[in-house]
Amino acid sequence: MAAGDGSVRGAGSTIVGHGPRGTAHLSLAARRRVRGLVGFVLGVGGFLLVWTLLTELVVGEFLLPPPLEIGGEMWAVVRTGEFFRQFVPTIERLAYGFGLALLIGFPVGYLTGTSRYWRAFFHDMVMVAGSIPGITYAVMALVVLGISELGPVLSVGLVSMPYVAINVAEGLDSVDRRLVQMSDAFGRSRSAVVRHVLVPSVAPFAFAGVRLSFALAWKVEQLTEVFGSSKGVGFQIRKEFEDFSIPGMLAWVLLFIVFMILLERFVLVRLERYLFRWRLEEQG
Amino acid sequence: MSGGAGARRASERRRASIAPAMGIALERRDVRGGALGAVRRAVASDLGARIASYLLLLLLWQLVALYEDRFPDPAEVFGFLWIEVSAGSHGGVVRGQFLEHFAATLPRFGLGIAISMALGIATGVVIGASRMAEALFKDTLLVLLALPAIIWAFLTQMWLGLGDDAVVITTFLSAFPFAAVNVVQGVQAIPRDLRRMSTAYGVSAYRRFRHLQLPAVTGYMFAGLRFAVIIGWNAVLLGEWFSASEGVGWRSRYWYDANRYKGFVGWVVIFILFIVLLDRLVLVRLQRRAFRWRDAQLSEVEREAEEVDLGVTGA
Repeated sequence: MAAGDGSVRGAGSTIVGHGPRGTAHLSLAARRRVRGLVGFVLGVGGFLLVWTLLTELVVGEFLLPPPLEIGGEMWAVVRTGEFFRQFVPTIERLAYGFGLALLIGFPVGYLTGTSRYWRAFFHDMVMVAGSIPGITYAVMALVVLGISELGPVLSVGLVSMPYVAINVAEGLDSVDRRLVQMSDAFGRSRSAVVRHVLVPSVAPFAFAGVRLSFALAWKVEQLTEVFGSSKGVGFQIRKEFEDFSIPGMLAWVLLFIVFMILLERFVLVRLERYLFRWRLEEQG
Repeated sequence: MSGGAGARRASERRRASIAPAMGIALERRDVRGGALGAVRRAVASDLGARIASYLLLLLLWQLVALYEDRFPDPAEVFGFLWIEVSAGSHGGVVRGQFLEHFAATLPRFGLGIAISMALGIATGVVIGASRMAEALFKDTLLVLLALPAIIWAFLTQMWLGLGDDAVVITTFLSAFPFAAVNVVQGVQAIPRDLRRMSTAYGVSAYRRFRHLQLPAVTGYMFAGLRFAVIIGWNAVLLGEWFSASEGVGWRSRYWYDANRYKGFVGWVVIFILFIVLLDRLVLVRLQRRAFRWRDAQLSEVEREAEEVDLGVTGA
C-alpha cells in the first residue's frame, strides 16, 4: 500500500518538476523529508494526546502515569545501561529463534511446494500453528525445559516456522516456469537452475515470512521470558509487575516496542527491499 | 491491485510444472491391483498423509515425555481429559469440570470481542476515511498492535483487581487494534478509479455504499474479526490465568500450580482445539466468502499464504 502511494506521488512530481534539473531534485527530496517530519510529529503528538486524555479523563494519574513521568523512567533505564544489558540477551534469543525457523521452515516449505504428499502431510500443522495461543508455548517451555535459555529460542522458532514454510511454498509457486523451461532447453545444469532461478525467487518470500512473523514472535518471546527466564526484557516486566510498579512496567515495554519498531523499519524493511529489488525492476 | 495482464502472465507461468525440469520425480500413482496396491494407494493419499502427520506428532510428544519425566505422555493426558470432560473423579474430592469453566469463559470472551469489534470498526472507518486522523492516530494504533497481551493482563489486574472486568478489558484491549487496523485497510482499499467513476456518472449514495464500499470493506472486516478472535482467545486465557477464579485459563493454571502437569497439558489440548475448530470451521470460511470477489484468481497456495500472513501484517 505504502509503496503504491509512493510511486504514484513520485510519478506526479517528475511531471510537475520542469524547472532546472538540480532544483527540482532538491525540492523533491526536501519535500519528502518535510512530509516525513510532519508525519512523525503528528504521529507522536497524536499518541501523546491519546495517552494524556486517558490519564486525565479516564484512568487517573496513579493508574496510568502521564507521558512525562514514564519518559523520565525510560531515560533512567537507558542511562544506567540496564536496558542494553537486558536487551542484548532478548535480541540474541530472537535471532537464534529465527535461525531455527529458517532451518526448519525451508525444507518444510520446499516439500510443501513441490510434492503433493508432503503438502497434505504438513497442511494441518502449518495452517493451525498461527492460531495456537502464545501462552501455550510459554508455559509448555517452562514445564519441559524449566527456566532456561532454550525456552524463548524454541518459542520464537516454533511460532515463526509456519510463516517461513508457507511463504517458501508460495515462492516456489510463483517461480517463472518459462525461465525453468528455457534453462532446461539451453541445457543448464540443475544446480545452476537452483542457484540462478529458484533461490532468487524464493529467498524474498522466505524473508517476508520472517518479517511478517517478527511482531508475533517477539510477543511470544516476551511471554516466555515472563514465565520462565532469569534475564531479558520480559523478565524485567515481570519483576516490575511483582513490585507493583506501573511506571516501571510501562517504561520497559515502551522502550522495547520503540526499539522493535525501529529495527523493523530500518533494518528488516530495507533488507527486504534489497532482496526484492529484482522484482521491483521487473515491475518497473 | 494486479491488472488483467498481470494475472494472465501469472497463470501462464504456472501452467507448466517445474517438477520435470528440476528432476523431481512426479508423484507416481500405484497402478498395481489387488489388496497390496489398495493399501499403498491409501497410504499415499492425502488422507493417508494427514494421518501420518498426526501419528508423527504423537510420536514426538511421546519422545518428549520420555526425555522429560515431568511432561506427561499422550495416554496420561487423554485419560485425564476423559475424566475431566465426563465429570468423573480425579481421586479424592476433586471432580472433573469442563462445562462450568467454558460457561465462565465464553461470556467474558464474547463481550470482549464484541466491544473490540464495535470500537474497532468505528475507529477504523474514521482513520481510513480521513488523512488527518490517519496521520494523528496511525502510530498510536501501531504501538497498540505491538503491545503484548501480557501487559494488559498485568495492568488490568493492577487497575481493577481480580474479577470479570479485568479479563474482559484485557480481551478488548488486546483484540481492538487488530479489528481497527483491518477495517482501516478495507476503507483504504476501495478502488480510487471506481470512486471517481461513480462521482463522474452520478451514482447514488445508496448504490455506491451497496456495490462499492460495502463489498470492499466486508472482507477486511471478517479478517479483522478472525484475528480479533484469535488474539482475544490468547488474551482471555492470560487474563484468567492472572485475574480469575474460574474459567478455562484459571483451570489450566489450577492444575499447573498443583504440579499436575497432565491436567495442565490436557487443558492446553482443549483450548487449542477450541480455537482451531472455531477458526477453520467458521472464521476462515466467512473470510473466504467475503473475499471471493477479490481472490478468485489466486491459486490455493497463494490463498492459504494470504490467510496465514494476514493476521500479522498489521498496518
